[in-house]
Amino acid sequence: MTQNETLAVRITDLNKYYGTFHALHDVNLSVKKGEKIVICGPSGSGKSTLIRCINRLEEHQQGSINVLGTELNDDLGNVDEIRREVGMVFQHFNLFPHLTVLENCVLAPMLVRKIGRDEAETIALEYLTKVKIPDQAQKFPGELSGGQQQRVAIARALCMKPEVMLFDEPTSALDPEMISEVLDVMTTLAREGMTMICVTHEMGFARQVADRVIFMAEGQVIEEADPETFFNNPQNERTRGFLSQILNH
Amino acid sequence: MSSLTQKMETIRNDYFSTRGNAVISSVCIALLLWIGWTLVDWGLLNAKFSADEGIDGCRAVSGACWAVIDARARLIFFGLYPYEEHWRSALACLAIILVTVLSCIPCFWTTRRLAFLWLAGFATFYVLMRGGVLGMTEVLETEWGGLALTLFIFSAVCIVGMPMAIVFALLRRSQYTVIATTMALVIDGIRSLPLLSIMFTAALVLTFVLPDWLQGDKLYRVIFGYSLFFACYQAEIIRGGMQSLPAGQEEAAKALGLNYFQRISRIVLPQAFRNALPPTINQFVVTFKETSLVTIVGFFDVLASGNAAFSSGEWLTTYVEVYFFVALIYFSFVFSLSRYGAYLETRLRVGQH
Amino acid sequence: MAFLRNRKFLDFLLQFAFLGTVIGLIVSAVVIGRENMAAQGLTGGFAFLEQATGWGISFSLVDYSIQDTYSHALKVGILNTLFLGVITLTLATIIGLTAASARLSSNKLLAKMGVSFVEIFRNIPLVLQALFWYAIMSNLPKAKQAISPFEGVFLSNRGAYFPGLNVTGGSAAIAIALFILAVSLAIWIAVARRTSRMQPSRRRMMWVGTVVAGALVSIAVLAAGRIPGTELLSIPYLKGLNFREGIRLTPELMAAIVAISLYGAAFIAEIFRAGLLSIRKGMGEAGAALGLRPYQVFFRIRLPLAIRAVLPTLTNQYVWLMKATTIGIAIGFNDFFMVVAVSINQSGQTLSLILILILGFWALNLSLSAVFNWINRRIALKGTQNR
Repeated sequence: MTQNETLAVRITDLNKYYGTFHALHDVNLSVKKGEKIVICGPSGSGKSTLIRCINRLEEHQQGSINVLGTELNDDLGNVDEIRREVGMVFQHFNLFPHLTVLENCVLAPMLVRKIGRDEAETIALEYLTKVKIPDQAQKFPGELSGGQQQRVAIARALCMKPEVMLFDEPTSALDPEMISEVLDVMTTLAREGMTMICVTHEMGFARQVADRVIFMAEGQVIEEADPETFFNNPQNERTRGFLSQILNH
Repeated sequence: MSSLTQKMETIRNDYFSTRGNAVISSVCIALLLWIGWTLVDWGLLNAKFSADEGIDGCRAVSGACWAVIDARARLIFFGLYPYEEHWRSALACLAIILVTVLSCIPCFWTTRRLAFLWLAGFATFYVLMRGGVLGMTEVLETEWGGLALTLFIFSAVCIVGMPMAIVFALLRRSQYTVIATTMALVIDGIRSLPLLSIMFTAALVLTFVLPDWLQGDKLYRVIFGYSLFFACYQAEIIRGGMQSLPAGQEEAAKALGLNYFQRISRIVLPQAFRNALPPTINQFVVTFKETSLVTIVGFFDVLASGNAAFSSGEWLTTYVEVYFFVALIYFSFVFSLSRYGAYLETRLRVGQH
Repeated sequence: MAFLRNRKFLDFLLQFAFLGTVIGLIVSAVVIGRENMAAQGLTGGFAFLEQATGWGISFSLVDYSIQDTYSHALKVGILNTLFLGVITLTLATIIGLTAASARLSSNKLLAKMGVSFVEIFRNIPLVLQALFWYAIMSNLPKAKQAISPFEGVFLSNRGAYFPGLNVTGGSAAIAIALFILAVSLAIWIAVARRTSRMQPSRRRMMWVGTVVAGALVSIAVLAAGRIPGTELLSIPYLKGLNFREGIRLTPELMAAIVAISLYGAAFIAEIFRAGLLSIRKGMGEAGAALGLRPYQVFFRIRLPLAIRAVLPTLTNQYVWLMKATTIGIAIGFNDFFMVVAVSINQSGQTLSLILILILGFWALNLSLSAVFNWINRRIALKGTQNR
């Protein structure tokens, strides 16, 4: 078993530029299968850019990204394979408004994994039950609350049975009373062994669920540690400054 | 009694609220009465409706000569189509009208159903008009005319132009600068030309630059030219619809692993069309109106047949009545379509709060 | 076959295929066109422009005879299009603005009349309207029974006759050019960046002064250009079967002006109505609260804001109206398109003339859009905090 096969995601010396702006600076990250990573940092620190590079929503210029043994490069076959095995949940849900909740969930399995409609619907209802909204299957996204929409988005990603789940600030666009319902789903998912990389400001969730917490600023990884050490004994000055800002309201 | 006083009150507020308003209203009422009376007097009371006595019957009255319509209606609707086969032309027109009406019903609004509806309607039209099968005598395109020809050109342009428009729009927003810039030049270039010059070029000039095996009938060349023009305008409308789509939609589709065609056909285009529905309906309305230009390029559409109706034989002085009738035909189609577009716009706006 | 899935390779392939197709189409069109022309014994190129046309043009702003060259005929066509365009654009804007105000007035009757006007003229094809008006103009009474609404103005089936000026063509051209120059200078003064730092009242004095000065100079030039031996003012009078003297607007031109102006006005009315509706009620209320009369609120507050809101849409409509002048060919008015069409018919130089047609309209549209886009940028509301 080579190193690559036990690693879910391996990012080496990653550099990304937007024109002349250096968005990601020599980022190194290794995520083992089943690990839960939380990435936090001030806005503009490149945390969203980093995870969007993993499924090629953004393109990196230097360095390498290896997902589940497949290298992310110009080979379109590789990109497709990675996108099949990596699921993503967005800050603004991005549900397809012209399709019902059920259709949102069965679309990709049917088109990409070539599963028949009946089987896809069974899988979809299974995951909708898991996120606790099976009764909303025939509704349209616009008829659901923010929290319900985000849970559908999680179910939609899970219907593809991915190996890795990426979360890009999943609760930042939610009203406060709906944040916990989404975090509950994510916690359950974590307990079942899913490999997760989450960009979030929810430090309670990080403390509870994460195996490692990473702090990024200005495109670089500043500090990386287990939650205990990270929150109680941060090593870096900037980490301390950031934590004092967000933990104090 | 109170509802009457309420009505009087409303009339006073609406039309006579201030002295200025009262003056304006009085002038308008006087004007409208005069116009109305002249029209009724000319168009109805003193008009001649039947063509039994020919033009002499009209000379005997001081009003409108609707007899020309009685005598020439078939010419206007069907052009030079053989007299015994007019029923085919009429059925064909009804087929297209039915298709247009059905397209307005939301339950038909999926790509498959709409495509099937229009292709079926168009095929029905073509089979009925052309004949040669099912025991119907063959009537070539050169003999098609009147309203039937107008409807044929309109539906052909829409059927050919819409797929072209989608392709143009997708090329225009391509990530490759070369493709996007070239398409931008082509689309803006064609849009800045007058439609008449494009039809003229298609009718007369295209024969020059096409190889022999591609020479088609003048009718199909003009339809192609018009479709190109339609496609360029509709491409910009579709592109507007795509631009108003949040970027996250395509990102989510990418993240789920859908490929380019799946993304475009299932996620981007359905939503883009929904966003661009009112301008699209307007584009259809304008397309129908502008088919009248084929008159100038030498086709016997409903306007040309109207011209023929009064400029031959005894009916030379009845141009007002004939133009009124042809205008009425256009007005009914165009007005109903644009009213529908306005209704759709309000309904969509309400739905989006 | 792994390279087929390589992104960079596919990128290159797609762009190459696309460009190849486009260039291939153009090249094949040119090649086939050349062959066909040679088969007909015609040489391509633009040499024919210096040949005499041998056919007449019924309406021309400058002198034209059948011995003039094709290039002169094309110039006449372009001038006619510009002439028709400027007149119809102005008329359509004025009528459209009136109809829009009518539609938005508190008098319901006026509003309904406005709606009727818009719906009637918008929903009937332009070419039909043009043919209708042409039929009307051609069926006006003969010269002997011409209608005369005012002293010196006559309407007959040979056209409309107005009093004119007996001046040389050159001086008329100079006078008009000077006046247009003065108006353009005035517009520039009113909106340019360089003059934006002036006192508004001083700026207004400057551009109003420029227009007035331009008018005076033009009139002086016209007076100086009087053809010796004739009166300055030329009043049309009936002699025999026809009118002499005066300016003649042909029935074709009149029909074109009426049809395009009314059709354009219907659309412009809707554009202005949308613009006026998009202005918050609070603007008008603030004006009224300050004591401004309704017409002052309209002309000083609501209309300027409406114009800024609709200028892009209005520009599109103007470009469209310029293109609409091509229906002149349906009624026999020699606009640019008709001159090109007749030239193609007579000289056979299809490709060259089509190229001239395309370039002509592109130039026309680009300049019109450029001018209006510049005005749009200059008068746009400044700042990002507009509410």
